[in-house]
Amino acid sequence: MIVSQHPGPVRSTPAQRRPAANKRRHSVLAAAVTAAALTLAACGSSGEGTSTAAEDVPGITDSTVTVGTHQPLTGPAAAGYASISPATKAYFDHVNANGGIHGRTIEYTVKDDGYNPANTQSVVREMVLQDEVFAVVGGLGTPPHSSVLDFLNDNEVPDLFVASGSPTWNQPENYPYTYGFMQDYDTEAKGLAAYVQEEFPDATYCLFGQDDDFGADFKTGLESALGSDSLASTQVYSTTNTDVAAQISDLQAAGCDVNFLASINGFTAQAIGTAAKLGYMPRWAASSAGGDYNTLSSYLGENTDALLEGFISSNYLPANTDTDDEWTAKFKEINEEYNPGAAFDGNTIFGMSIGYLFAEALHEAGENPTRESLLEALESGDVQGNGHVPLGFSADSHAGYTGGMITLVSDGVQAYTGSPYSADGDSVSAYTEDRPAMPENGIPQ
Amino acid sequence: MDRFLFLTVDGLARGAVLAAFALSLVIIWRAARIVNFAQGAMAVATTYIAFTVTSATGNYWLGLASAVVAGLVLGALVERTVMRFVGNTNPLNSVIAGLGLLLVIQAALGMIFGNGYRAMATPFSSTPISVGGVSAVSPYDLFIFICVGLMVVGLALLFTKTSLGLRLRASAFAPDLARLLGVRSSRMLTLGWALSSAVGALAALLIIPTELGLNPHAVDTVFVYAFTVAVVGGLDSAGGAVAGGLAVGVVLSWVSGYLGATLTPIAVLVLLLAVLLLRPAGLFSMTKERTA
Repeated sequence: MIVSQHPGPVRSTPAQRRPAANKRRHSVLAAAVTAAALTLAACGSSGEGTSTAAEDVPGITDSTVTVGTHQPLTGPAAAGYASISPATKAYFDHVNANGGIHGRTIEYTVKDDGYNPANTQSVVREMVLQDEVFAVVGGLGTPPHSSVLDFLNDNEVPDLFVASGSPTWNQPENYPYTYGFMQDYDTEAKGLAAYVQEEFPDATYCLFGQDDDFGADFKTGLESALGSDSLASTQVYSTTNTDVAAQISDLQAAGCDVNFLASINGFTAQAIGTAAKLGYMPRWAASSAGGDYNTLSSYLGENTDALLEGFISSNYLPANTDTDDEWTAKFKEINEEYNPGAAFDGNTIFGMSIGYLFAEALHEAGENPTRESLLEALESGDVQGNGHVPLGFSADSHAGYTGGMITLVSDGVQAYTGSPYSADGDSVSAYTEDRPAMPENGIPQ
Repeated sequence: MDRFLFLTVDGLARGAVLAAFALSLVIIWRAARIVNFAQGAMAVATTYIAFTVTSATGNYWLGLASAVVAGLVLGALVERTVMRFVGNTNPLNSVIAGLGLLLVIQAALGMIFGNGYRAMATPFSSTPISVGGVSAVSPYDLFIFICVGLMVVGLALLFTKTSLGLRLRASAFAPDLARLLGVRSSRMLTLGWALSSAVGALAALLIIPTELGLNPHAVDTVFVYAFTVAVVGGLDSAGGAVAGGLAVGVVLSWVSGYLGATLTPIAVLVLLLAVLLLRPAGLFSMTKERTA
């Protein structure tokens, strides 16, 4: 019943990765199968060129491409994330209504795992073995997705754009089929640190973080950017204890002026609310995992505007408040048409951006896509997404967005400020190139 | 010293609500020898009713009254339609039925109200008043203390000073004998459920504004803590639930403040284990264990 509600990282240690022996057995097996297949092919095909008949590829027919995802539609994590997959679905509906990708419509299967890794295993097995999806797209959450990482890679199913900031997904040697999506927590911490250091050079910095790898990775990033003894106080919370008064009063006693937050939305709200009750009004600089204005306002209620004024966070996707942004305008239109009644917020943009990225990858994979051609398209670097910073996809890296941009709340509106940053060693550097233009109608052409 | 005081008072405020919730578990245990695992979900359901009423009328007190009334009705309903038909040959049956009910209620709430969090307003400010340089108790905390205090005194009077209380106790101790003497035991059982559910409703309404907000799962962790409180205090003892609640609240606050928040769930389990090993009947159970 009690789970941590963020897509936080689980760093896999070497012991957790697939054992070498296992891998060797797989490659022997793979070699044997390939040899057998080649023999059969040599006997069967009387000299014809190899054509990829659509029915040979799982999840692909002449008119459809079936993909799946696992999402917390029910359970404690549903509050923060259940609205993402309907947005992805709405985007695919928009693509399908406009002829699909290379004439194929995208069928999107959403399975509810309740953010419970045991459920994730069964629903993903069902998707892969029974429904035979072409790829898994945007599986959500570090603990749930970690439980199917080996299964998907062993079965050679493209495992794209995992919705979590964990560095786990970026291990091309161990997990060649898995690709990340989000800016990782380490980079995000460095980006926030650089901004805060510039704006508040003489302030006392502190951290309020979750008691797992999410908090730990964020802290590592902060310390590599600010220096190892730069944090005057580090307080951790546990998702099973919502009373954070003890931790917040410690931050207050330590004289912290700027508090970094490696917390999920509920605890960001709890930290800010508790501080206000104690008459403590520092600056807050939050990870994007817990920095969405709309979500925070549902927790903070009528006091939101006063409490969040000057609130600093980071993002990399088009801002939902920026109606001048061509992507935001298009997504808003799609949301109204295909997802009626649903709020248009950060989750909507997130879900649709994952949908767009998949559509783009599918488009680049060619007229007769295979799992191999899909991964080749991603590794080529031609798939660019719609973020303010580039994706890290290449043969050596499966990292998602490589940086972000600072957001600031002013008069109740969370908007971007300054220019984007991208990861650069122990710190970040400004990223100055323009974002690729949106294709016509928001559909890859 | 300031910090010690701050942590202690903060823990007492939280402990008071845990005590109220534990009290609702104790009432059912005394009436039916059942630990009701659906208690948390039932209390959340009534809080949604209070939230809807308060949003519609703008009046907190109407919401509070409707939560308590809804609690009475829901408790009676659950007993009459579900628990009555669960065989009591094996204590596990009622536990499973309770867990099933928990899932059904949470899913239904999610379908009706959505899974998002909703901020709940409090009737009094939650900003602590400064007393002697230490700011710890807020007017809302005082409101919680008063509500829980009234509830405890009211229940104590009901059980010890009224004939209804006597009948309730009689049918809980010895249902068959009580029935021979003219007590309608089955009605008393329904009433016990109704009372317990109303107390749970009030407790949830008090604690949810201090947590993350209203959500179908808002009371999940509170239920675990309250269960610990009830066991620590003795499932049989109303006074034990209150003392246990305050004690657990303070211990949690000290552990979180001095050792780290990560250890609080472990501290709760250690406490539970220690009490079960050393004094299974609970710290405050004065009477010998009943076998009824």
